Amino acid sequence: MFSDNDSEIIEGFLCPICRSDEKTAEDLLRHFEDEHSEEKDLISTFRDVFKSAKKKILNNLDEREISKAIESSLSINKSIIRVDFKGPQEIGIFKDHFEYFKAIRNPRLERYATETNKLIIRLNKLLTNRPTDPQQIKQHEQNLVPWIDGKLVKLCPSCAKSFFFTRRQHHCRLCGAIMCNECSHFLSIDESMSIINPSHEYPKPDSSQTDVIIKEPEDTIRMCEHCLHLLETRKEMQDGRLARPFITKLYERIETLKKEVMPDIAMYEKIIKSLYKGDSVYTIADASALRGKIGSIAELLDDLSKKALTLKAQQGSREEALHKSLRMGVIKFIKEYMLELPQIPVEDEIKKIQQKRVMELNQKIERDRRLAQEAFEKYDLCGDISYAATSSKTGSALRTVDNWSGYQEQNQTNANDPLIIQINIVKGYIKQAREAMRFEEIESLEANLKELQHEYWLKTQNN
Amino acid sequence: MNVIKSVQLYIDKMIEEAGVGMKILLMDRETTSIVSMAFSQTEMLQKEVYLFERIDSGRSNERLKYLKCIVFIRPTRENILRLSNELKSPKYGSYFIYFSNVIPRTDIKTLAECDESESVREVKEVYADFLSINANLFSLNIPTCLHALNWYQDALDRSVSGIIGVLLSLKIRPAIRFKNGSNVAQQLAKKIFDTMNKESSLFSFRPPENGDAPPLLLILDRRDDPVTPLLTQWTYQAMVHQLLTIKNNRVDLSSVVGVPSELKEVVLSAEQDEFYEKNLNSNFGEIATTIRDLIESFQLKAKEQKKIETIQDMKNFVETYPQFKKMSGTVNKHLVVISELSMQISKKALLELSELEQDMVCRADHSAQLQKVKKLVAEERINIDDALRLILLYSMRYERHANCGTVGLLNALKARNGRTHLVPKMLEYISQYARTELFSTVKITDAVKLTRQLIKGMKGVENVYTQHVCVLKEILEEIFKGRSIDQHYPFINDVPAYRRPPKEIVAFIIGGATYEEAMAVHQLNQMGYRVILGGTTIHNSESFLDEVIAATNGAPFKHSRSLQAFHSASNA
Repeated sequence: MFSDNDSEIIEGFLCPICRSDEKTAEDLLRHFEDEHSEEKDLISTFRDVFKSAKKKILNNLDEREISKAIESSLSINKSIIRVDFKGPQEIGIFKDHFEYFKAIRNPRLERYATETNKLIIRLNKLLTNRPTDPQQIKQHEQNLVPWIDGKLVKLCPSCAKSFFFTRRQHHCRLCGAIMCNECSHFLSIDESMSIINPSHEYPKPDSSQTDVIIKEPEDTIRMCEHCLHLLETRKEMQDGRLARPFITKLYERIETLKKEVMPDIAMYEKIIKSLYKGDSVYTIADASALRGKIGSIAELLDDLSKKALTLKAQQGSREEALHKSLRMGVIKFIKEYMLELPQIPVEDEIKKIQQKRVMELNQKIERDRRLAQEAFEKYDLCGDISYAATSSKTGSALRTVDNWSGYQEQNQTNANDPLIIQINIVKGYIKQAREAMRFEEIESLEANLKELQHEYWLKTQNN
Repeated sequence: MNVIKSVQLYIDKMIEEAGVGMKILLMDRETTSIVSMAFSQTEMLQKEVYLFERIDSGRSNERLKYLKCIVFIRPTRENILRLSNELKSPKYGSYFIYFSNVIPRTDIKTLAECDESESVREVKEVYADFLSINANLFSLNIPTCLHALNWYQDALDRSVSGIIGVLLSLKIRPAIRFKNGSNVAQQLAKKIFDTMNKESSLFSFRPPENGDAPPLLLILDRRDDPVTPLLTQWTYQAMVHQLLTIKNNRVDLSSVVGVPSELKEVVLSAEQDEFYEKNLNSNFGEIATTIRDLIESFQLKAKEQKKIETIQDMKNFVETYPQFKKMSGTVNKHLVVISELSMQISKKALLELSELEQDMVCRADHSAQLQKVKKLVAEERINIDDALRLILLYSMRYERHANCGTVGLLNALKARNGRTHLVPKMLEYISQYARTELFSTVKITDAVKLTRQLIKGMKGVENVYTQHVCVLKEILEEIFKGRSIDQHYPFINDVPAYRRPPKEIVAFIIGGATYEEAMAVHQLNQMGYRVILGGTTIHNSESFLDEVIAATNGAPFKHSRSLQAFHSASNA
């Protein structure tokens, strides 16, 4: 910022006023206070600039250029393209026809429903107290449903063939209508029972048998096509609603697991990031515990989806395709979200790095502070209250950055202080939360703890 | 204004309305393409859509009542019939029905009467009735749309519903201009205008505020610019289409020598492939450099992977790893495509050809150009189809020239067993307007063009292979500059005069758009304009020639009587 009108670019610890190179930060500070002490307000600005520059350098050290280079090579014109064509876009027009659809469908359905209900009630009556003797069955049936007079019907209403002695008239047991034997349908007693009482399990007839016309009147009920259709539609709706095949349970399990694991993954990434930053909120043990949890969920998901594959399904069927697709979905999910989790840092090394960095930071800060203090004492600026305030403020800010423990040791004597008690309680909570892997809680508790500690520090400072 | 996004939003809406649980998507042939160009199968899996089924083929009778069925079909008569049957004996637990366009009320009634088991939960019209190729490019997949230089009825109907779909999904009610003198353009414009009035409840958007001009729908005719589809292309997407053919975002590489089996067919989708999205409009030189740099940085990365020593190394690697892995797959794919392109360029001497093509299109120099064409057409190393392209360009360019050498060139082509019959057909296909205006470099009346030409000549040409400017780009620039285009592109109805140019334009080319035009549109969009391009299809030279043959079938021969010898020879 000072080389704007200067053709030469100089690097190093430059004095912003006379631009002499002072080799080290300490020298520069001394030089600055020696030579330019009259420019007081500049000192604080200078210090700020210095601090933020240092921060920047420290942070930038761990960013590699390669990853950036790849990104930039991939993002040609990114900003330009995104402006017009990737911005938020409203969904287009749509038109709803469902109201009209229902207006047509529902009255029809209601009509069918009353008719079907009537049939079911009759069916129920037919089946209760059903006599075993064929002759009596006929009587029983005729008592319940009025049969149409056979003389009135000359032709079978569904196939339009005339009746005579080989093509005899038959009655639908449910509505009493007439048809020929060819056009009759038969419902087995078991099936009829299951229609009347859907929640009850009845021995299921073989699927191959349903199409075959069973002609023993004792075991079946004769009916016309129309009645059968109504009953079958009803039965299918019931089946559809009640059907809870194993695959749906499996699927629900998988989806719940997926949903549950997402916040864990987000949390894990947050922990890893904070570890690398050198924060002390989470420990490596936290990370590895959570990683273990995510890992076991991944395994569980894998197992569940494999189970889907083993479910019985005809080869080449839609069901089989569904099972495969389910499995693929799970594999993709695991790959995308769970396999590419960042590794847990190695404990010793990260600790070393952390400690080193913290130590360096502390040392530098301490040194700077000491130097500044000395300088001020030396050159007697004690009348300047505002500086003292800034200094103590900087001090407090610095304290919160590094670990608190040092100060606590000094003040160990004050064990009865309510603040200390509170601090210890919070620490206990953190420990509990950690054991239960409630990481959001840890975070807020840690923040709480810091506040308490800061409060305590201020208090001791005042004393 | 992003047509891919608008289809995605519709599909997301359907899936969202079906709610949680396993879903199946029931589609027809066309909607399958529409969906597949918006989302990959993996993306659909993540949205809990596990099965896909075509309503119009190979249906099984299996019942899977625990599945929710999303039906997304075009509202055709056959589809309504098929869906009625499906509803009469439903295979799935519940149905969420979406039609890709306006459906008559009687059809809804028919369907409602079939739903005896009360399994339908939703019936809606959505308007994703077009194939979105790029953010600003859509197609209707109509390979040939004209017969005897007039509309095929089906193609006209499909074009109307496709454009209506685009307008509704972008929520615009445009003013409509069409190319004056083009019957087909006027017909289409009129039909769209009528539909907009009939469905006025759908098109009830607020007009733009503070006196801005309404969006513009511009209907153009390929016959006014038959040159653009015949030129050798040098930008990535256009090149791939010209040399390898892109079909529904897929490229068939099975004929390429030594291609690994997993790359026999590759998907090139701007939506799913970041590298492609960034580079589809880059020219070949740029893209070769980009991919080289990318490979180098990956090699560097791979080397780094081997010598991970410190935690820092590992962390850096792991952080970039997912991206690294994702990219390495794409890079591999593009490497195969690009090396194939590069092989074809040298084998077919495309640089040489392209230079001559551009020269012919942009500059008048009859004798020299004729000599060069003659020379190249006779050479064996020049692909016979490329030779044909040269002759087509020449014959259109110098049709009226006193020493026109088309017949001689045709003889040369005939000697090589080329498709000589295409030349008279092309001369019938090209419109009257294009005949007089397309190569109007020497017209004194057009002072502006003349000056521009002069300036161009003085400045020298930046790139000899990309001098040609397509007609579309010229019109769009005129419009955005606020010049009057009423003479050549009138409104279909009376529109109050607006002083300011429209902010949004949807341009539609009857007879197919090209990727060169898509790039022109892309460039305008980067300058901040908002243009969407569409066509009955997207042509390369080969598919365009099919279009020309189909369009001129049954048309009387007016302009190429002198060439009829060749025409009758082809008919025989």
